Amino acid sequence: MNAAIETHALTRRFKRHLAVDAVSMTVPDKAVYGFLGRNGAGKTTTLKMLLGLIAPTSGAARVAGVDVARDRLAAARRVGALLEAHGFYVNLSGRENLDLTRTLLGLPKTEIDRVLDVVEMREHAGKPVSDFSLGMRQRLGLARAMLGAPPVLILDEPTNGLDPDGIADMRRFLRALPERTGATVLLSSHLLGEIEQTATHVGILSEGRLVLEGELERLKAELAPEIAFQTDDLPRAAALAKARGFDLTLGEGGAVARLKPGEDARSASAALNRALVEADLAVFAIGPRARSLEGIYRDVSSPASNLQPETV
Amino acid sequence: MLAVLSVEARKLNRSLAALLAVAAPSLIAVFGFFMLLRSTRAQPWDMWMTNAAGVWAFFMMPMSVTALTALVAHMEHGPKSWDHLRALPLPRWKLYAAKAICVLALLALMSAAVLAFSWAAVSLAGSIKPAVAATGPFDLAQYARVMAMMFGAGLLMVAIQLWIALRYASFVPGLVVGIGGTFFAVVATAAKQGVFLPWQMPVNMLATEAWRVNTALGLGGGLGLVALILMTVHLARREVL
Repeated sequence: MNAAIETHALTRRFKRHLAVDAVSMTVPDKAVYGFLGRNGAGKTTTLKMLLGLIAPTSGAARVAGVDVARDRLAAARRVGALLEAHGFYVNLSGRENLDLTRTLLGLPKTEIDRVLDVVEMREHAGKPVSDFSLGMRQRLGLARAMLGAPPVLILDEPTNGLDPDGIADMRRFLRALPERTGATVLLSSHLLGEIEQTATHVGILSEGRLVLEGELERLKAELAPEIAFQTDDLPRAAALAKARGFDLTLGEGGAVARLKPGEDARSASAALNRALVEADLAVFAIGPRARSLEGIYRDVSSPASNLQPETV
Repeated sequence: MLAVLSVEARKLNRSLAALLAVAAPSLIAVFGFFMLLRSTRAQPWDMWMTNAAGVWAFFMMPMSVTALTALVAHMEHGPKSWDHLRALPLPRWKLYAAKAICVLALLALMSAAVLAFSWAAVSLAGSIKPAVAATGPFDLAQYARVMAMMFGAGLLMVAIQLWIALRYASFVPGLVVGIGGTFFAVVATAAKQGVFLPWQMPVNMLATEAWRVNTALGLGGGLGLVALILMTVHLARREVL
């Protein structure tokens, strides 16, 4: 597997505050990598180090094979970024704003229409940016990040502040990005749903530490899956499941038993089913199911969690 | 570097900084226009042009530099575009050097505009009230030389104001220093030590004592260039958090 972005023990300390703590992450080529964490978890600091905007206290980062600290300019040539602050000049039109960056990058004028087409903004680009909605500014920012077709796109909270329509639009663009541009996308967010709907891979950052990383579908399927079941006497079934060592959550009309990491979901499900039936309970439904990203996130990002970085 | 300079110039389109660059010299010309209309006897061109240069150097130039540097820096601070610019594959010193060159070019244009607009205003007022129309020769080379010297002596003031404006995202530090500097330049006009005050250096180009002219021009121009280089190096190496 080729890595588009790799960090090794990347650390950044601000005086006494350790913002990023020995983060070693790997973003595979052509992936949409969801970089998830609460506000203040260290996501933006990590992205700034990847962009060479701030220097790491220790550790290293490579973007598209280039060490950022050793050759920032070469690394920057391979990255396009959409940062939280758009940085548009509101006295200029969308097209004029793109043209400024195009000039600085030394690209041909045709690049502007190409990227405007990708974000479906060509007909609005002549308007002053001051007349743009937040969603249009985000799309323009995405277009600017794609100038020069960099192999890596770094997008910091691209749906922040958008209304539901804008969020849906942006998600559609993000999902289509690898196919339309061939780029690897590193997408930071504190919104679980956003990552779940757009990312192929996920890395979870908690208090500056990368606590989990891997392919999203495999994580959901393999990392401590759950058994959902319904019976005619849920409290008794729950007591039975608890007695067998399951971590249980009761919901309306059913219960969810969480397995331990590495435990085989199908055989555990069969064993639980057998126990329920032997206890004379009528089982309406039972079976393993992949866990939601929210469940995984809650487990690993809890401040009390002692989980070490884990790759699936 | 030419690409970065061209980008800086294009950012000025429809900007407040461009408006200021036209407005400040225009105000001096408007002032001269009404002064001439109110006068009761004809005065030579030298008097009118020295008057315009004096108003420019004494008050309008320090205030314009304060506002201009704040507005040019705010073009990046306002939309928080430093991260975008600094993430581009460009040596960062070029971004700051281009800002400095852009401000200096605007100031040079403003200085030229003071001359041009003042000539136009005095000529127009003279055609309205021929009895007090400016007399004698219009020595463009001499007036341009004085304006160029004021520009040179103002370099240290520009460097200080631009450094503060680019360093701090808030308008406040730049405005406090600029207004404070102009205030002390005005109240300390007669003081010998005033010549060492960057905001008073340009007006010293109109002084009759040669030591004042030479000191202000040498210190303002020389230290100004050094300060601009130090500013570029400092800002390029600094992390913007």
